[in-house]
Amino acid sequence: MEALGINLGFLLVQVFNFLLLLILLRKFVFTPIVNMLEKRRETISKGLEDASIAAEARENAEKEAEKLLSEARSKAATEARELTARAEAQAKEIIKDAEAKAGKAREAALAEVDQERVRVLGEVRGQVGALAVAAAQKLIGEALDAKKQQTLIDEFFSGVKAGKVTVLEGADAAGSAAVVTSALPLSAAEQSSVQEQVLKTLGGKGEVTFKVDPNILGGLVVRVGDKVLDGSVSGQLGALRQSIR
Amino acid sequence: MEAEAAKMIGAGIAMIGAMGAGLGVGLAALGGVQGIARNPDAAGTIQTSMILGIVFTEAIAIYCLVVAMLILFI
Amino acid sequence: MAKQEATRKWKYGVNRWIALAIIIAGVIAAGMYPPLRPYISLPAEHLTDTLFYFPLTGEKFFLTNTMVAVLIADVFLIALALFVIRPALKSGKQVFKGIVGVVEALVEVIYNLTAGTAGKWTKTIVPIFATITFLVLTVNWMELIPGVDSIGVINEISLEHAHHVNPDLHVETDCDIDPLFTIGNTNVVSIGGQPDCAAAIAPFVRAAATDLNFTLGLAFVSFMAIQIIGVRAQGLRYFEKFINIRALGKPGMGKIDFIVGIFEIVSEFSKIISFSFRLFGNIFAGMILLLVIGTLIPVAAQTGVLMLEFAVGLIQALVFGMLTMIFMAQATQSHHGDEEHH
Repeated sequence: MEALGINLGFLLVQVFNFLLLLILLRKFVFTPIVNMLEKRRETISKGLEDASIAAEARENAEKEAEKLLSEARSKAATEARELTARAEAQAKEIIKDAEAKAGKAREAALAEVDQERVRVLGEVRGQVGALAVAAAQKLIGEALDAKKQQTLIDEFFSGVKAGKVTVLEGADAAGSAAVVTSALPLSAAEQSSVQEQVLKTLGGKGEVTFKVDPNILGGLVVRVGDKVLDGSVSGQLGALRQSIR
Repeated sequence: MEAEAAKMIGAGIAMIGAMGAGLGVGLAALGGVQGIARNPDAAGTIQTSMILGIVFTEAIAIYCLVVAMLILFI
Repeated sequence: MAKQEATRKWKYGVNRWIALAIIIAGVIAAGMYPPLRPYISLPAEHLTDTLFYFPLTGEKFFLTNTMVAVLIADVFLIALALFVIRPALKSGKQVFKGIVGVVEALVEVIYNLTAGTAGKWTKTIVPIFATITFLVLTVNWMELIPGVDSIGVINEISLEHAHHVNPDLHVETDCDIDPLFTIGNTNVVSIGGQPDCAAAIAPFVRAAATDLNFTLGLAFVSFMAIQIIGVRAQGLRYFEKFINIRALGKPGMGKIDFIVGIFEIVSEFSKIISFSFRLFGNIFAGMILLLVIGTLIPVAAQTGVLMLEFAVGLIQALVFGMLTMIFMAQATQSHHGDEEHH
């Protein structure tokens, strides 16, 4: 112990010295500093709390603003959509109008063309009859009774024999509308006679439309609803071809 | 052999023990650095325990030193 | 930008030249006044004759150089507390500058460490932890001041001792050492002079932790603090950790628990030894290192050792306090600890 320099007296001096220092420093330094640290920590934590509250408030405000903004945005979007829809509808209407007008114009033009055709074909009908008579005279080599021939030809084209419509004989058809097709336009007298008979067959009431189709060559085709009465030359020729075969 | 020479050799031999302490301090530092590298957030805690471990390990070397000094000076 | 760079370059240049000038001055000084091989004595040297006798033990009291260091540290710390820190704290400010800021930061570190370990006993433990740290820190860093450990009087006892250990060694009386100055009939000398001479001088101030009385005293205080806080926290049940009579009644592992308790007593007392020798060993080794490096390589090399000692002084101060704190915190908890010490 002596060699190490350990000495009880010095040891005790050091211990008492330390205890004195401990008491002094504790009173004047450490306790105040620790108190101050705790106070400061409290202040800081309070400040942090305040800050967090403020942050929360700000967040709420931001949320509110965001909500308002999004509402406004959606409103604007809805309005824009409505406007667009309205504009589109208007545009469609305009287009439809225009199309309808165009269709009407076209129909009118078509009707005009039809009438013209009917007129021309009506004009041609006389000549066709004369040509047919001339051809027959040439073929047979004798003069034919011009008047009788004319009647024959008329009958051929109109399908009306001795004031009666041949197709309708013995036929019964029920309906409210009939379409009568002839190879060449019918004269007004023929038309009225055909109409009368067709109406009689239908049962007094109905509507009769006349059409011209040179493809059927001669006679009449009457269509009532889905029923077709074929008195045309082409139909007869077809039937003949069928039977020959 | 002179007593003085024997003392010096003895002190030298006593300090061999510091070898293990050096190894131990190195290992402690290794562990600490690895821990900090894996989890840098825990650096404070790891440093404290690492220093404590290093101090305990170092105490062995200090004992060697004290023995060596006792041999030399007494 | 260019200007700033120029300024920095200029500054760096100045520092470089100052360092070079200091090294050159060191070389000249070492050549004119070569350092002596130091004579290192383990016990603290006596500076005076017997002043008085201790009342109870009857031992002689000398003023030793480590005692001087402790007194200086005491005066420094008390003056700091009374004349610097107390007014600053009373001023009611929240933020401090300078040395008060440093002290406050260190106390905050100590407080945080304690609060993390000790829980509700924090306020009791912090002053002890902090006082140990501040005292040891002051005393350790004193070692770094030039003149401490190196300026003193020729020590007759040490001289005799040195002559006795190594008769071949020249001593001061043989080689005339120029005294720095003279007080009365005492020549004040420094480590320095002729290379062959041993300087058996008693420095006026020697780092206090190189005296086992100081470290043992601190360790004893720390030990007592641990026991006292243990009893305060748990009452007499604290001693159950050491003498576990209840465990004897239990079957099986009970007897082993009792024996473990006996070992706890041994480990408790070995704390004193390990505390005191850890601090003593570190600082004493540092002192020897400083002296030896200073005499072997007189120029510049000591700077590195000084930096090392700066760190060691801080770490040892903190560790002494921290271990005290941890053991005190353990003593307040009732489960008997698995690892009481290293």
